[in-house]
Amino acid sequence: MNWKMSRIVRTVTNFLVVPIVIFGIYLILHGHLTPGGGFQGGAVVASATALLIIAYGSLGRHKKDFSTVEAIGLILFISIALLGIGSTMFYNFLAGTGGIFGGSVEGINPGYINTGGTVTLMNLAVGIEVSAALSLILWMMSKETGIMEPEKKTSTTGSEEVED
Amino acid sequence: MSFDIMLHTPTFALAVPLLFAFLTILLSKFSKKVGDVTFLLGLLLTGYFVFLMSYRIFTDGGWVYTFGAEEPITLNFFRITFIADGFAALATITIAITAIAAGIYSFGYLQKKMPSDKFYTLFLLTLGGVNGMVLTGDLFNLFVWFEVTSVASCALIAYENHRGRSVEAALKYMVLSVVGGLIVLFSIGLLYGQYGVLNYALLSGNISRIFLDKLALGLLLVIFAMKASSVPMHMWAPDAYGEAPGPATPFIAITSLGSLFVLFRLLFGVFGVGMDTAAVGAVLVILGVLSMFVGVTMALVQDDLKRLIAYLSVSQVGYMTMAVGVGLATLNTVEYQNFGELAMKGGFFHMINDGVYKALLFLSAVTVVHKTDLRSLNDLGGLAHKMPYTTVFFLVGAVSIAGIPPMSGFSSKLLIYRSVYLYNPILAVIALVVSIITFAIMGKVFFNAFLGPDQGLTDGEVSKLMLSGMAILTAMVIVFTLFPGLVVSELVTPAIEALSEGVIP
Amino acid sequence: MTLESILMTLPYITVVVLFSLGLFTVLFKKNLIKIIMGIALMQNGANLFLVSLAYRRGDYAPIFTSAESTDMVMPTAHALTLTSIVIGVATTALLLSFVIMIKKHYGSINTDDVRRCKE
Repeated sequence: MNWKMSRIVRTVTNFLVVPIVIFGIYLILHGHLTPGGGFQGGAVVASATALLIIAYGSLGRHKKDFSTVEAIGLILFISIALLGIGSTMFYNFLAGTGGIFGGSVEGINPGYINTGGTVTLMNLAVGIEVSAALSLILWMMSKETGIMEPEKKTSTTGSEEVED
Repeated sequence: MSFDIMLHTPTFALAVPLLFAFLTILLSKFSKKVGDVTFLLGLLLTGYFVFLMSYRIFTDGGWVYTFGAEEPITLNFFRITFIADGFAALATITIAITAIAAGIYSFGYLQKKMPSDKFYTLFLLTLGGVNGMVLTGDLFNLFVWFEVTSVASCALIAYENHRGRSVEAALKYMVLSVVGGLIVLFSIGLLYGQYGVLNYALLSGNISRIFLDKLALGLLLVIFAMKASSVPMHMWAPDAYGEAPGPATPFIAITSLGSLFVLFRLLFGVFGVGMDTAAVGAVLVILGVLSMFVGVTMALVQDDLKRLIAYLSVSQVGYMTMAVGVGLATLNTVEYQNFGELAMKGGFFHMINDGVYKALLFLSAVTVVHKTDLRSLNDLGGLAHKMPYTTVFFLVGAVSIAGIPPMSGFSSKLLIYRSVYLYNPILAVIALVVSIITFAIMGKVFFNAFLGPDQGLTDGEVSKLMLSGMAILTAMVIVFTLFPGLVVSELVTPAIEALSEGVIP
Repeated sequence: MTLESILMTLPYITVVVLFSLGLFTVLFKKNLIKIIMGIALMQNGANLFLVSLAYRRGDYAPIFTSAESTDMVMPTAHALTLTSIVIGVATTALLLSFVIMIKKHYGSINTDDVRRCKE
């Protein structure tokens, strides 16, 4: 059975994947101004993976990196939280200081991305983690149910358990 | 600004397991040994921070830790708080001891059988979730850690996914947990909608006896009692305990113990002042008696070793529930001085005892099943010849769970009998009868499985690592046996004082 | 029973309907996928309940950019709902993986056939 879909679907997928990822990153970065944030943006980026799996029937060379990226994202999150341990954990030590994301907020404004403090950094970390984790879940599920092309057998660990 | 590391230990007791869970899976991509070492480091660091926190609580008193504020101790109505008082110390110490022992055991168990990096991740995630559940002072944070614990422990049960039964047991437990979590969310919404605050301390000042609060209390009580495997919501317990992979079995017991701790924290801390303590205490007593009785009766007819111990664990939960129910029913009356406080002491002492000897029993049962590949009592026999250490460990755990002097189980059960008799004599008689039946069951199991002529089922003892895990738990049982008074006055009494005075604001 | 009072309690009536439909599906249906769908219905009901608790008459949505005024609904309940949605995604993913595994081992997803644990 041919696992790829037709040429039209594949061409449109080629066009659409990049705007989807960019839109996801936009949602992640503007989490403290408009509805959005880490989880929402990450889920949108993971939907790009879903599109690739369905259109092409496989993910090429990049499948092994997902769990590494997920672990890195979460370690980043907890590290940024622990960095504020001078006062308490999760303390926003970048707000209003003029550093990377420091900046002050006055009244009602069109919203500048510079004012988030650690919230923006944590949004980024969570976005990385969620997109990697949801892509990993999608990839493993489609490997089990057979809508993906079966891989050449390189290792014999059987099917791995899906974790969160 | 003075930086007092002791004040920050509650967050480390929570953040270290989570951080090391993901460090394990990252570093084990390089080599397996690095992953194992990371896991062990995470466990030991968590234990270290738990003991540091408890040391500070027992010498200086409890405190409230606010997340995201300027100073660790700030009164703030909108931030998430962690409560570090005597009760949290007791709970986290119990959990840490059992987790370290089970972790060392799993080190030896998983060497050959299965890929182990995900097991370690799920183990540390569950540990972090249970720590968060007992430490938190905020209702919604409780829901978050409740769900983390249920997801991680269900994934742990289904770890051996080449057997269909494990996945089936995990599915049943998961559906129950998720529906329970949604009902908990519903009752949290009820409380939030009325009072607008989610903090335990602020909520306890506002709770009254209107219908919506009683509804929220009832729902929370039922769901946390379900998680703690008390009858009539215990159906998941034999399947989950029976089908879990070896070292994860005591960990399911830890999650149920943690839910019991959280239940008592909610009843005393959030609802304590405003509700009808006599009625709710009576409900707890009824649940306890039912659990004791049904648990031990179902254990009589089992011939699968792990399911039998699972039903016995259900009946032990009944002891704790009944004792704390008697304490709750007599709160703020004169009878509390007479026997209520004694009942609470017995109940909490039984909790820390039970956490340790139940884990010991499960680990030795898992050793037997692992070595002989047989689960039914009809097939086992004569194991004492080749596995002397396991026999001794099992004997210690069996004598303790049966409540026979001089082991630690007897001390806590004696406190329970004395105090519950003054509340209602029939309850003490039922407790005694259940204890005698437990003794009979344990005797049957021990004689069947370990004594008798050697049937050649096993070829020797298990590895040193697994034995050392069980040896740690046996040492703790013996410590509790030799110094019961010390344990009660040092560990249990601060917990009771912290509970009955309400939450530190 | 003015029109306004009915409109004000309409979200709560919807929550009760969703929750009880979900509970009915979980309790009485035999197909595992339908049980998981019932759980998803219950999750939606609980989330709707949390969001509708936060509403106050005459207040605007709590988006800071180009807001109309600073009378905003307090967004605590929205944060709780977001957390609950994320937890719902995680549990649904795990439940569906279990169903895939069960189909592989037992060959069917009817709860009458998936019952080997008592033997």
